Amino acid sequence: MQVANKTNAVEGPDFSKETPVVLSSPSFHDITEVISRPIESKAGMKWYIALAVAVSLFMLEIFCWGISFYYGTGMWGNNIPVAWAFPIVNFVFWIGIGHAGTLISAILFLFRQKWRNGIARFAEGMTIFAVMTAGLFPLFHTGRPWLPLYLFPYPNKHAVWTNFLSPLLWDVFAVSTYFTVSLCFWYVGLIPDFATLRDRTLGKDFISKVRKTVYSVLSLGWRFSNRHWRHYERVYLILAGVSTPLVLSVHTIVSFDFAVAGLPGWHTTIFPPYFVAGAIFSGFAMVVTVLVFIRYIFDMEHIITIDTLEKMNKIILLTGTLVGYAYGMEFFIAWYSGNIVEQFAFINRAFGPYAWAYWIMISCNVITPQIFWFRNLRRSVPIMFIASIFVNIGMWFERYVITVTTLVRDFLPSSWGWYNPTLVDFGLLIGSFGMFFTLTLLFVKFMPVVAISEVKGVLAQAKPHHHHGGGHE
Amino acid sequence: MDNNLQQTQPPATQYWKSLEELAGDPAVLAGKQHEFQAGVTDDFDPQAMSGISRRKFLAVLGASAAFTLASCKAYRDQGKIVPYNKKPEEILPGTPNYYASTVTTHGEACSVLIRTREGRPVYLKGNPDHPVTQGKISSHFQASIMALYNPERVASPLKGEGGNFSPATWQEADTEIIAALKALGGKKAALVVNRVMSPTTRQVLDSLMAAYPGTSVYSYTLYNESARDSAWKKTHGGNACPPIKWHEADVVVALESDFLGAEGDIETEMRYAQRRDVMGDKPFNRLYAVEGPMSLTGMNADYRLRLRPDAQFEFAMSLLNEIKGASDAEYSLSSVAKKHGLSESVLKLLVGDLKANKGKALVYAGSRLPEAVHVVANAINDALGSTGLYHTAETPVEHIPAATPEQWDALVSDMKAGNVGVVVHLDSNPVYHFPADLGYAEALGKVGLVVSLTKEHHETAQNSKYVLPIHHDLESWNDYKVRPGIQLLQQPVIQPLHDSRQQEAALLTWIKGDSAAHNEKLYYDYLVGAWKQLHPKLNLLVDFQTFWNSALHDGFVTYSESTPGVGAFKGAALSGLKAIKPGSDMLVVLQRGFNVGDGQFADNGWLQEFPHPVTKVVWDNYAAISPATAKELGLRNDDQVEVTVGDRKVVLPVFIQPGTVDKVIAVELGYGREHAGTIGTKVGVNAGVLRSHKQQDNPWLYAATAVKASGRHHLVTTQTHHDFNIPREQDLHLKRKIIHEASYQEYAKDPNSAAFHGHHLVNITKMREYEGVKWAMAIDANKCTGCGSCVIACNLENNVPIVGPEQVDRGREMQWMRIDRYYSGTADEPVVSQQVMLCQHCDNAPCEVVCPVNATNHSPDGLNQMAYNRCVGTRYCSNNCPYKVRRFNFFDYRDRFAKALYRKDVHQLIHNPEVTVRSRGVMEKCTFCVQRIMYARQEAIKAKRDLKGSDVVVACQEVCPSDAIIFGDANDPESKVSQYRKHVTGYHVLEEFNARPNVTYVATLRNTHA
Repeated sequence: MQVANKTNAVEGPDFSKETPVVLSSPSFHDITEVISRPIESKAGMKWYIALAVAVSLFMLEIFCWGISFYYGTGMWGNNIPVAWAFPIVNFVFWIGIGHAGTLISAILFLFRQKWRNGIARFAEGMTIFAVMTAGLFPLFHTGRPWLPLYLFPYPNKHAVWTNFLSPLLWDVFAVSTYFTVSLCFWYVGLIPDFATLRDRTLGKDFISKVRKTVYSVLSLGWRFSNRHWRHYERVYLILAGVSTPLVLSVHTIVSFDFAVAGLPGWHTTIFPPYFVAGAIFSGFAMVVTVLVFIRYIFDMEHIITIDTLEKMNKIILLTGTLVGYAYGMEFFIAWYSGNIVEQFAFINRAFGPYAWAYWIMISCNVITPQIFWFRNLRRSVPIMFIASIFVNIGMWFERYVITVTTLVRDFLPSSWGWYNPTLVDFGLLIGSFGMFFTLTLLFVKFMPVVAISEVKGVLAQAKPHHHHGGGHE
Repeated sequence: MDNNLQQTQPPATQYWKSLEELAGDPAVLAGKQHEFQAGVTDDFDPQAMSGISRRKFLAVLGASAAFTLASCKAYRDQGKIVPYNKKPEEILPGTPNYYASTVTTHGEACSVLIRTREGRPVYLKGNPDHPVTQGKISSHFQASIMALYNPERVASPLKGEGGNFSPATWQEADTEIIAALKALGGKKAALVVNRVMSPTTRQVLDSLMAAYPGTSVYSYTLYNESARDSAWKKTHGGNACPPIKWHEADVVVALESDFLGAEGDIETEMRYAQRRDVMGDKPFNRLYAVEGPMSLTGMNADYRLRLRPDAQFEFAMSLLNEIKGASDAEYSLSSVAKKHGLSESVLKLLVGDLKANKGKALVYAGSRLPEAVHVVANAINDALGSTGLYHTAETPVEHIPAATPEQWDALVSDMKAGNVGVVVHLDSNPVYHFPADLGYAEALGKVGLVVSLTKEHHETAQNSKYVLPIHHDLESWNDYKVRPGIQLLQQPVIQPLHDSRQQEAALLTWIKGDSAAHNEKLYYDYLVGAWKQLHPKLNLLVDFQTFWNSALHDGFVTYSESTPGVGAFKGAALSGLKAIKPGSDMLVVLQRGFNVGDGQFADNGWLQEFPHPVTKVVWDNYAAISPATAKELGLRNDDQVEVTVGDRKVVLPVFIQPGTVDKVIAVELGYGREHAGTIGTKVGVNAGVLRSHKQQDNPWLYAATAVKASGRHHLVTTQTHHDFNIPREQDLHLKRKIIHEASYQEYAKDPNSAAFHGHHLVNITKMREYEGVKWAMAIDANKCTGCGSCVIACNLENNVPIVGPEQVDRGREMQWMRIDRYYSGTADEPVVSQQVMLCQHCDNAPCEVVCPVNATNHSPDGLNQMAYNRCVGTRYCSNNCPYKVRRFNFFDYRDRFAKALYRKDVHQLIHNPEVTVRSRGVMEKCTFCVQRIMYARQEAIKAKRDLKGSDVVVACQEVCPSDAIIFGDANDPESKVSQYRKHVTGYHVLEEFNARPNVTYVATLRNTHA
């Protein structure tokens, strides 16, 4: 290889051979050690500080939900015509974040993308937490949040059935299915790792005993037997297959909340693919934002490699451009349709009173990812960190633009209104990050943040033709 | 256990399941006892596993469930329910009783039917038998029921010392008042009253004056027609100017007159609308409005000219010269037009119309214009030969003439000199109403004994020693006569809620000079006595009791009474006129408060929250100025402006109103009350402080200076400000086919010219068929003036909560109906379109498909209905409603508004028991008064007949003075509503959205020349 490099005299990747997924060729044991270290060692000060901040924000969210519950939805800025605002924006935003996980773990698994193995576990965990964070919004967003039962089709003596024509009802099923399947998928993948942790927990003190018991229960009697592995692989494949359509369906159905309504700016057929692309876009951005921290803090640069991150950035570039295409296409169709209300809605988005939000969205979502055309920028950790944050700001604003600008000015100019979020609205938005990061921090402390067994599977020595004693450079 | 028994004893009867069993195969018999034969141990014994038997377990379960239930509390305290011990004969629970009676405001009386439920009045509707108002009622009368249940009513007599009040008794107060009246000596006593509309009250006042020499009555009305009436006296003789036969006028020129708005009444609107009826056979009238501030009349006008109010004299004189064909260099229409920038082409049309319609054309000067303009207007009408348009048979009746300014001056100086021993205010509030420079409030301090008989605490009561509670109209006996030939009766429909007395009964007690003389029947007997004297004069064939009973039943009696006709025009009136020169400075125009009246409705949440028909501002008054004037003064909306008249100042928030003439500041009166309870205190600014008692000849217009003041005050509107500078936002109501407009002249030639041309809409699915009745509504935009009576009636009928200005500002007003206002044209000369908007009860209702819980759905008779207790409040329905007519309970507004004032027990009685009071978190909207439909259906079933569309009258339709709202059965081809649905001018709002709405609108036909 060195010969080739010399003759080529070009710096850059060597496409003549597969890029190793894990760098510096660690042994199986090294992998286990690195991944188990954060769980088994005492948590550092940084973790406690981070958790304190996250829990404080989480408490803020709980407080804000509490006063919304006690006084009513009037504590928010919602009004007529803007009956949906921050809570729905937050809901769609977090559901979108939750998309990366299943995409990485299921779709990339089916496509045999080995680079996914380093990040799949974390992305899946993120999915679960994001969906949990998101799920609170539609639940408590209703005027009478103590009656969620009405949203389920249960037989009752009033003989009232739910309305299966309503996209909100589809949402109930789509989101709960997605959450359930994602949780199963995540848990199934965790079983061998729980067993590893169980076996490594040898202390005789009380904490260790508790820990061992918990891991024993969670690992469901996993004994690394060949038979276990066979069943495991089969279940994992099936769940990957089941999850794959869900990746597309959830955000498609979330987009139906808007697209099925008749409002200008909502009633467009492009919404499902556009929402899915946007969801993957924001999900990947969130994974990048958090992973660059994790790989740095836990010394996992060789497991979550820069190559992996680069691949993520490529997907961000792709989906960001797709989203940009959708923005443009919406305008084109508005013009092409000849529908003056539709045309007004889009011109009003870009040049009306909420133009600032629209241009934040465009600059964050369409312009920012274009920097990833450049390899240097794509592989620069600080750049990708900042860009991914911009993407998430942009994606939040996308939902804000869609929800608010359409509702503020729809058909009858007499009912045009205005929307001002309240402190409670902001409290819920900020607090939702608290909830998400609280769960994330607990996850990285108590569960293997990288799938131990999966990473081992992509090491050189895991390959059948690998011969011991050689190949280490 | 049982197993063993069965095994040992052979089965008594042979039931077998298989041949093996029949044969008694031991393996099979043994297997029968084991449900899970293989792999399950036999020794499974539940009793061995737990000490609790199944029976015991169930007992414990039941007991704990019972304990849980016992510890449950009601969701909300329901209060105590006390059933009738002996049921009153006339009350059938659940069935309303109607009583004819009369309700009053300051200066007006209206014959009404009061709906009572289980003995409490809940709704007022117009008396359908009344020959003039014909069942119609204005919003002020409607909303006056709120005063009955006002939790802050004065509940018992109060004795005050320097503005601090302590409880007192009637006896204490009566004794002191009688003593003071007896001890008057040479001193005077004054009874200050609002316009007295009752002949019997007048008798009581007369006898009080007779009983206590030195006592006199001072009557006033803040919004009076003194200029009109004194001009009439000068030009035609007689006491008061008769009302107009609006239905007979072909051309109306309104000079600074808001006769369709704040200055109008029910009759005016009713009669005017008769000439705007596409279904009627009479042609449309034509309305020219020449005015300074934008008014409801100006919004409805076919032509509107902007003119400073103080230039109206010039304008009227020039018009008179033009009509007479006299040439006058000083007053010629062309020079006036040039001077004030009026459109000469419109003026030419105006003059042409007046001349062409002699006898049917009318110039009508506004109440706030000085007498001289009224004199000229009368002269024009005389020149046009239009005196036949005066309705002399309805000339207002005055029982006590209003006190003249000189009389007030004399009273106040007597008071200041200590010559007045007693001042009694009968339901009047002069401290608030009178100009400060009269010095009435200070003078009260020098009076020995000041008494206020009132329902609510107010500014004058604050300055009184005794505040004595009086009955509300619905608790009172009385009679009223405001026009010749009709005498209205008022009867109580509820026992007095508080320790209040009938105002006249209090006076009678004082006349008797004995505080023990009072009893509840005192005034009733007096009233009956008075009517016993009336009875023989009417030469009726029936005896008194029958007469009295039928009068009570009908709410009024009519008799023929001759009224003088219009006297000949006295030309001399014109020659003595003092010319009014228009100024070039700022001019303050003090307008009548549309919602709050003279301030008496300041504490009425419904009226305060009704969006002003012109500006859509709620809970406030403001300085309405033109965009150019705003620019000149450097003002934006919500800035504050300091207006100075002489040494009197007021700081007002600014509202830039398109169509206002430049250099005019229009302000409404009736706001800024200092003592008007939790709701009304300090709402808006009291512009009355700009008035001067000395400027009696022109009390509503003042030359002023205006400068920008510091600070801002946010005015809350229900419709966003219209920006005339953004082209893409212009004329959207026309571009989007929300309002369809056409020319009446074209329509008169060819009705099809006014047809709405939409695309033919095709459904790919089969539409639902409606058998039987299908409810629908039609709204005639030509008849609708935008007065808002419908909105108030809807609030009252449907228990719509009041939310307060902060919540309205957040966009959370709860009114089910609204009146949309659109501008086109320029900011200086806007053309206004109005549209009543409410739930359209669409066949393809967009709200219904998106509700996840089926809380909003369609009834078989075409109603889009709401099941409140199923609604979880996703608000998706509101989002998907293209008309945005749904309203959401973001809070429990009864708890939240004004510190839960309207949650107080006494106010709860106002709620219509037929309509659910919605909890927080549920969506609501117009139901087409489903409770009335259900009631009518019930009645139809009881009478074993089919329900007909005409059986149901919805609340908004019922009150609409101009009959612009039509409701009925769309499936009945004979019904009125079907006629409208089929009418060539009928259209649906946003037809191409294909929601298939069931509210048909009639195209706005503008009666311009083109």
